[in-house]
Amino acid sequence: MEFEVKSPGTRSELLSAIIKTRTGFRFGAGYTDLIPELRKNGSPVRTIINLARLNDKRFTAITVTKRGIRIGALVTAARLADDPTIREYLPVLAQATSDMASPQIRQVATIGGNLCTASPAGDGACALMALEAECELLNSRNQARTITLASFFLGPRKTALERDELLQSVFVPANSGVRLFSGFIKVGTRRSMECSVVSLAYHVQTDSSGNVVHSGIAIGSAAPVIRFAHSACSLLLGKNLETMTVQDAGRFAQNVLEHASPISDLRASAWYRRQVLFNISKALFSERQGAAETNGSYEGKAHELH
Amino acid sequence: MSTTKLKVVGKPTPKLDAGVRVSGKAVYGCDVNLPGMLFGAVLRAKFPCADIVAVDVSKAASLPGVACVITADSVDTNNISHKRDHPILKKGEVSCLRDEIAAVAATSREIAQKALSLIKVKYRVKEGIFDPFRALEPSAPQINRYGRNSFSNKNIAEEFHYEHGDLEGEKNRSACRIKRRYFLPRVTHCCLATSNITADYSPTERRLTLYSSTQVPFLYQRDMAHALKLEPSNIRVIQVTIGGGFGSKLDMYPFEPIAAILSMKTGRPVQIVYDRREEFLASPTRQMMVIDLMTGADTEGRFTFREVDIILDNGAYTSWGATTPFVMMQTFSSLYRVPACKFAARAVYTNNPYAGSMRGYGNPQATFALERNIDVMAREIGIDRAEIRLINANFPGEVTGQGLTYRTCGHRQALQTVIEKSGYGKTRDRQSGARRYKRGMGFASMLHVAGGAKIYRSDGCGTTVKLDAFGYLTVITGSNEIGQGSETVLAMIASEELGIGLDKIRVINSDTDIKPWDVGVHASRTSFVAGNSLLGAVGKLKEILSPKAAALLKTGVSDLVYEDEYIRSMTTGERIKLDKVVREIHFQKPNELCIANHFYEPNSELQDKEYRGNVSSAFAFGSQAVEVEVDTCTGNVRVLDVYVAQDVGRVLNPLGLQGQIEGGVVMGLGHALMEELIVENGRVLNPDFHNYKLPTASDVPNIRFYPVETLDQEGPYGAKGVGEAPLVPTPAAIANAVSDALGVEISSLPLTPENILKAIVEKHGI
Ligand SMILES: Cc1cc2nc3c(=O)[nH]c(=O)nc-3n(C[C@H](O)[C@H](O)[C@H](O)COP(=O)(O)OP(=O)(O)OC[C@H]3O[C@@H](n4cnc5c(N)ncnc54)[C@H](O)[C@@H]3O)c2cc1C
Repeated sequence: MEFEVKSPGTRSELLSAIIKTRTGFRFGAGYTDLIPELRKNGSPVRTIINLARLNDKRFTAITVTKRGIRIGALVTAARLADDPTIREYLPVLAQATSDMASPQIRQVATIGGNLCTASPAGDGACALMALEAECELLNSRNQARTITLASFFLGPRKTALERDELLQSVFVPANSGVRLFSGFIKVGTRRSMECSVVSLAYHVQTDSSGNVVHSGIAIGSAAPVIRFAHSACSLLLGKNLETMTVQDAGRFAQNVLEHASPISDLRASAWYRRQVLFNISKALFSERQGAAETNGSYEGKAHELH
Repeated sequence: MSTTKLKVVGKPTPKLDAGVRVSGKAVYGCDVNLPGMLFGAVLRAKFPCADIVAVDVSKAASLPGVACVITADSVDTNNISHKRDHPILKKGEVSCLRDEIAAVAATSREIAQKALSLIKVKYRVKEGIFDPFRALEPSAPQINRYGRNSFSNKNIAEEFHYEHGDLEGEKNRSACRIKRRYFLPRVTHCCLATSNITADYSPTERRLTLYSSTQVPFLYQRDMAHALKLEPSNIRVIQVTIGGGFGSKLDMYPFEPIAAILSMKTGRPVQIVYDRREEFLASPTRQMMVIDLMTGADTEGRFTFREVDIILDNGAYTSWGATTPFVMMQTFSSLYRVPACKFAARAVYTNNPYAGSMRGYGNPQATFALERNIDVMAREIGIDRAEIRLINANFPGEVTGQGLTYRTCGHRQALQTVIEKSGYGKTRDRQSGARRYKRGMGFASMLHVAGGAKIYRSDGCGTTVKLDAFGYLTVITGSNEIGQGSETVLAMIASEELGIGLDKIRVINSDTDIKPWDVGVHASRTSFVAGNSLLGAVGKLKEILSPKAAALLKTGVSDLVYEDEYIRSMTTGERIKLDKVVREIHFQKPNELCIANHFYEPNSELQDKEYRGNVSSAFAFGSQAVEVEVDTCTGNVRVLDVYVAQDVGRVLNPLGLQGQIEGGVVMGLGHALMEELIVENGRVLNPDFHNYKLPTASDVPNIRFYPVETLDQEGPYGAKGVGEAPLVPTPAAIANAVSDALGVEISSLPLTPENILKAIVEKHGI
């Protein structure tokens, strides 16, 4: 594995690096996906455009506006997990990033890398899907375009990025409810350093009496790409979380499952993925009252908005 | 040796090498860097079973930077392994994916790898045999044609039969008979330091120096000499700091003589270090096995008989691992009292990656099967699971059907301890019907050799002690340190006996040119055997020191005590510094050295052809209680608490012991819950830490350890071996706990979430 590394410090250096590097280049941020990938594929990459030194707020900041929260592509998992704003308004993302990998990896792994890798098992990506995030892409001519995360993922390891494009930031629209039922459930064999065998991200917003006004449900490792579970979201709309029945929970789980088309691989069979997805989806609502802590997830915790 | 009031032994003492290890100064195999050193790499087979039609190395040989390329045709060697069934470089055919076809030495690792890619091998692919049961069928071809085989089937590498008692009689009088089949997966050592060797051949001296991480330097020296057709004493083995052994370094593997050959051919040092992938693909594993076990008990729950038939997947070549039935047989014949036992085991050749030896040496698998059956029997008879174990526990003075003699035995005490400490019986109310998280408790015990194991003509160890004129002691021991902490224990023993501070004691144990004979690190023997050997040497050293000190202090030798670097007369209170005594001995007529040698041979016996005899000078017993919580939604098992009580004879170094216990339990937890080297049609599917799941810090449960001290008369200060033991009962206890939590039967490992969920769904439906 031998390649040249270019480390632009500014936006203009970045753009000119892209323009000058015609062929066989890749972006690198935290390298926690890229290096294993290159090692595995013995890929013919000749140049890496290193984003880690880039000093540009659009890429590195978390910005809160009335419209929502913008997260720079270079924000690390550790920062998201710790950030008070994210923890308060987007618990699903805080939890997904705090459950990722290990402290060492979280320290360097970026949210941009998590998205651009386009793994069906991406935890940050699954949370952002539940949050209905939008991707802001930048090209070498300094032009930006915005697309939904759902249209960003084209397939396993495939994104809508053009050759000279990169991800600048993601944008999460502001919450519309006043209370949140938001969290991330990750299923795997061990309690850390684990790639999700199945994951479920939920971000359910209610009015002050508990009626669902908006909800986002996404599933990971259950299909070629991370999926937004539309029908499960529609089912929740208008329901009161406090009075949901076991039958409602079962129907919800059934609806989540409609979006799953998992594969069997070394880590689990398709049967297991479907079964577990059903179980955890059902448990999400049938066990809400006094639910036990599971694998460090804080399901059942409602977050008051200010 | 006085054990009345110990000053050093029994006190928590950090490992002597802790400083160099944590500061990164320890020299591991990959840190060895000799002038002019080349880097070796090995070309392995592309198919698990194929004829080699042609090998063309010409392109590789002419690559700039390549110093040497070898194949089977360019070397003159003997086969390796104790069965001599393993050619170092394969000729004509390959029998598993690890097979070495060629090797190169080059000026950099990258060039060596590039050279490998230029070697062309033409194969004629054949259908391999990957199921040991299929290999036993008459129509199966012979898989290994090198082994000297006198067994009942051409594909058997090792075969064991053992019996005691009246099996049929005991069967007939049994109130309950339980027959089960158990499947145990391949797990592997996952040493942090990957396999490595640096070979340095001197053409002028015709001497070969090996910087190796073997556990058994003297056997290694002999095996290497046989492989390379050299004189053993012309091979010097220097042990590097070892980053994990766990049994993986008991055998010599082909890459080691290959490095030596490359060095001999080039006249330059050659280093081979595996990367992690190669480590997974080409280093040994624990035996995968299928155990058929029938056990019985009478109406009161007393065990009556055991009948065992085991098939081990040997892989394509034999390692010491094929002799694990030797240890398993002890567990079946002698763990808990049992009047009759019939044991059979066959290690069967297949085209799978070959197995090796691993901590516990078959015992975790045997114990798993046995302890699972005990739980099933308890349920069947309607007796409490703790109770049935207490009724049948081993006792001091017992001589088992196999002839194992338990001079001391803490089995019952260990069981009682974990039953009591775990609060068993009091936690039952936590089980309530429909909850998502279900808790369960499981027990298991273990028996393991703990005073060496006489499987070789000598199970002994030599020691030389040298006290210098400044009062510093050098201990030259035949034994070696592979991380288990024995060198610290040896220094503690010397310190205790001679009253010399640990900072003035050096332990030398890494060079076969210097140190006396020892059979090596295995069978949890080092502190016991090397400790006794050291005590013998120290006794002889005192025979030199004491008369001189007595003369100087004008008293008798029996009046002397060694303390705080002085020798003191108990009656007068007068004392003299140790180094002064040494100088008096050195520099005054008759001018003697303060050096003493001792060879200790344990009083154990080689077993007879029927495998009867007291193979170890002491035996360790232990029991564990495990509490788990199972998530019935996902099948995840969380081990909450592990209670460990182990008969260690005496605690020598509490800190080192705690480390062995915790490490063992975590290794057992990995075996129980997640570890498996997945092999399909001879190919390893998960040669990386991504998919070979090793427990992480966040999976580690509370581990509560209660040492049981039985003070065995044979051991140093009464101590017994402890190294392998803590891992042995853990998988069994976890499986029993999960079975208890869910009310399902468990007959295989690992207990992955998927396997657990399957069991739940089979029992309860969705
Ligand atoms: C041991 C280990 C454990 C892991 N555990 C988890 C886990 O639990 N959950 C999880 O989701 N992931 C996990 N991962 C995967 C990885 O850590 C994450 O996906 C991480 O977020 C990737 O970020 P990075 O900055 O390291 O990406 P990089 O490796 O730097 O890049 C990844 C890919 O994205 C591209 N890229 C990066 N930034 C941009 C950009 N701004 N614009 C365009 N392309 C870009 C790169 O070219 C590359 O193709 C794990 C990885 C390892 C090695």
